[in-house]
Amino acid sequence: MQKELKVIGKPMPKLDAGIKVSGKAVYGQDVVLPDMLYGAILRTEYPVAELVSIDTSKAEQLAGVVSIITADDVDVNNISYRRDHPALKKGRVNCIRDEIAAVAAETPAIAREALKLIEVKYNVQEGVFDPFEALKDDAPQINEFSSHEKNKNISHPFHYEHGDLQQQKDKSAHIVTSRYFLPRMTHACLAPCAITADYSNIDNRLTLYSVTQVPFLYQRDMAHVLKMEPSRIRVIQTVIGGGFGSKLDMYPYEPICALLAMKSGRPVQITFDREEEFIASPTRQKMVIDLTSGVDEKGKFTFRVAKIIMDNGAYTSWGATTPFVMMQTFSSMYQMPACVFDADAVYTNNVYAGSFRGYGNPQATFAVERNIDLLAEKLGMDKAEIRLLNANFRGEFTGQELEFNTCGHKDALEMVIDGVGKTRKENDKDQKRYKKGIGFASMLHVGGGAKIYPSDGCGTILKMDDYGYLTIITGSSEIGQGSETVLGMMAAEELGIGIEKIRVINTDTDIKPWDVGVHASRTSFVAGNSLLGAIKELKTKLSPKAAEMLKTDEDDLEYDGGTVKSIKTGESIKIDKVARQIHFKGPNDLLTVSHYYEPGSKFADKNFKGNISGAYAFAAQAIEVEVDTYTGNVRVLNIHMAQDVGKVLNPLGLGGQIEGGVVMGMGYALTEELKVDNGYILNPSFHEYKLPTACDIPEIHFYPIETIDEAGPYGAKGVGEAPLIPTAAAIANAVSNAIGVEIDSLPITPEKVLQALSNKS
Amino acid sequence: MNFNVASPETNEELFEVIAANQGRNFRFGAGCTDLLIELKKQPEKDLTVINLGYLNDPQFNSIENNDGSVRIGALVTANRITSDLTIQERLPVLYEAANQLASGQIRQVATIGGNLCTASPAGDMACALVALKAECEILSANGKVRVVPIEDFFTGVRKTDLKENEILRSVQIPVNNSGEKVHSGFIKVGVRRSMECSVVSLAYHIQITADDIITLAGIAIGSVAPTIKFASSACEYLTGKRFSEIGSSESEEFATKILEYASPISDIRASAWYREEVLFNISKSIFE
Repeated sequence: MQKELKVIGKPMPKLDAGIKVSGKAVYGQDVVLPDMLYGAILRTEYPVAELVSIDTSKAEQLAGVVSIITADDVDVNNISYRRDHPALKKGRVNCIRDEIAAVAAETPAIAREALKLIEVKYNVQEGVFDPFEALKDDAPQINEFSSHEKNKNISHPFHYEHGDLQQQKDKSAHIVTSRYFLPRMTHACLAPCAITADYSNIDNRLTLYSVTQVPFLYQRDMAHVLKMEPSRIRVIQTVIGGGFGSKLDMYPYEPICALLAMKSGRPVQITFDREEEFIASPTRQKMVIDLTSGVDEKGKFTFRVAKIIMDNGAYTSWGATTPFVMMQTFSSMYQMPACVFDADAVYTNNVYAGSFRGYGNPQATFAVERNIDLLAEKLGMDKAEIRLLNANFRGEFTGQELEFNTCGHKDALEMVIDGVGKTRKENDKDQKRYKKGIGFASMLHVGGGAKIYPSDGCGTILKMDDYGYLTIITGSSEIGQGSETVLGMMAAEELGIGIEKIRVINTDTDIKPWDVGVHASRTSFVAGNSLLGAIKELKTKLSPKAAEMLKTDEDDLEYDGGTVKSIKTGESIKIDKVARQIHFKGPNDLLTVSHYYEPGSKFADKNFKGNISGAYAFAAQAIEVEVDTYTGNVRVLNIHMAQDVGKVLNPLGLGGQIEGGVVMGMGYALTEELKVDNGYILNPSFHEYKLPTACDIPEIHFYPIETIDEAGPYGAKGVGEAPLIPTAAAIANAVSNAIGVEIDSLPITPEKVLQALSNKS
Repeated sequence: MNFNVASPETNEELFEVIAANQGRNFRFGAGCTDLLIELKKQPEKDLTVINLGYLNDPQFNSIENNDGSVRIGALVTANRITSDLTIQERLPVLYEAANQLASGQIRQVATIGGNLCTASPAGDMACALVALKAECEILSANGKVRVVPIEDFFTGVRKTDLKENEILRSVQIPVNNSGEKVHSGFIKVGVRRSMECSVVSLAYHIQITADDIITLAGIAIGSVAPTIKFASSACEYLTGKRFSEIGSSESEEFATKILEYASPISDIRASAWYREEVLFNISKSIFE
């Protein structure tokens, strides 16, 4: 039986809250090294052009300029897992972000001034900005490093299928087909990109003060680009002001900064201003999804056929692999007898997409959930009922071979259906001008890591000092998601020491053990399990000594209140005293241990089948909206969110993740779109890129569901991405419900709503 | 973004610095909420910003309640306007416009004079002032004062009637103290509920006698033409009517008259079609 928990499940303020609210946190922008220079990057003026010449001579004359580099000055490999992205562009530019030259100077102002003095002659060319155009035979090859056989402009194709499609089509009473359009969304991290590179030509080591969320993959990628040994690169993560997936890839500015440091022999810092952040950061994939779904006469789903074209942009990032996640939603969210899925990441001359919280899942969920409403309408079936009927269940082994050992899907649906019933007041009848509606959506996402890299593990080193203070050195990273607090809570729970005696070290690849990085909602799950394993090993040192000192059996020990207690005799001894005895008396050892945890998940086979995660998270949302038919404005009135989190570890941190995610989902649903026209970004500022504000946020009713998954720490599953994923789908369904129109694209702007109403009448 | 700054503290210093900059490139800055963004986007060479932040003159800095009018100094911030009780009670259209302007931080420093002199067709307080038929009091560097009706103040997109040696000192708004009811408000349409720039705006200020007759109407529209427009035929249409008897056909006729003043463009925020559609809808909504 699980013992009573004293720390886990109780609200705990984040360990880094103090330094953040007091302004003491050192973000990338705050790093200052002796003798440091400031770097700036010259980007192209035109999305597509031949680079006729680059003349840096005038810039070199400017006082205070120390180094200038172009592609001709460096010997490097390409970036990206497709190796299709040169850090500095040679010969031609392919999108408006393209880096042509970089300057290191004594001050940021001099560096910017020098950029203006670099003379570039362009031979401007026509670009291809529509992926469907790029797929045509007569389209030019957009990326010269593109290597896929299927089509010169396809970076990465995916195909998946299960079940007997024809049989399921025959069983179907209704079939619906729709095309959905999903926009580019940008992460809008509070802290723009920043890096400081420091190269020592004495020992040929490179130190990077970086904002990466995957430090060990980053170290390897940087080494590849710079043709260095990875172990000569030390990655120190600064406090990171928002990641949301944007820092999963390495981008050109990072090796460029390292190259400037190598050339100048001095540390160099590059930071983006807000406009550059909008222009040069990756986005959520813009995509077009064609989805056909079937249902039998009783309302059971029969099949899904999805065909997706993703606008990859000019180069490939991890974002091109979002089909890995999307196919799970099509194949396995709600019981699904048959599924055929195709997705192509297509090169265009637009800005390239990257990875973003939810990793394709918000798009996939939007399509699936809109189709479900259409099917329910055809059947004349209640939209809550059809979802309950098809909900996933514990013990389900899906067509894609995902194993749902725990599953709170149905419970989540029931909670939000009940919740929305309560907030929708009876007297809330539709008025002439304002129409109200309710929408439902579910979500399925990995909740125990995702085995896509040769290891999905995390290492932990523990050190307890002579005074009973614990240092947790974890491979995992903190990017604001609150995982280091959760790790501290776990250690406090297991060792019975106050959280103030625990320190988490998690920012230095020279010190911390390996971890694959912050992604796939995995950190609390994987790093938590790793920590629990390490604590077990620490106790194999602590417990024998404590038992000896207390003259009792190891099995009778309890760690509580800074002491080790004998349950039998009631006697206790301070834990630091045990530590000192081990150190100074015998066995003359230090309380230092390490542990590596690898989740029990499997790799997918070549057909993308396999149980790739240690656990799966489920959620459901019911959202109430009010549509102003005069202006088309959608006001979200209530959001009911129920999520199978396995086990609530830190209710405060969880609440933050839920509310933050839901709000991000609202932005995706209603206001946010990075607008790109002929390759140019039209709204690179917070003035025209519309994030929701506090005034737009409704009551968020959150219902955690605890299914206690034995794979997770205390039964917990990953939670970080889930709250964002179903929000846009549920809002779209609610708007459609309110005014009786099809909503097939995001964001649902007032103009689209008014246009739909006008088309209807 | 480099520029010289001159910060006059008295009228005399102000006149001097204006005179000294004649024939040169200079701009006035008060809250600077628009100016700095503009200069960041398009830096100007040899620019002097005449910073009005230290100018100590009640005629620029205060709100005066006179008999039959309210006089608001050009340097009065949006926040001060929203906290003025007379404006709240007698001029709801201006109160609402000031309250919906941008964000709390910006309202703390943005001035009514800046909102007018920027002459944006999307100016919120400016739109309210047009509906209120305010008058602009303009001071020249030689100490002369002239008064122009606000409608004549705006001459084009970001263009005003101000001459090179002139500065806006205050706006004067007529207030009816006869105890008539007012139906007055500001409708701002955008994508989100705050920190928004108007996609369409409508300011209305209608006075109604105790026996329900409309004696005066002021209607102005924003973001649908190169300048803020006063919809005089819509105002005339209302004058003399019984307020409570305006039904749906009257309000649609009223909205149609307002539309005649709109000549919107399509831009990144919305299409011309959307702007006209919404303008019609919100126009009729003021009688619902």
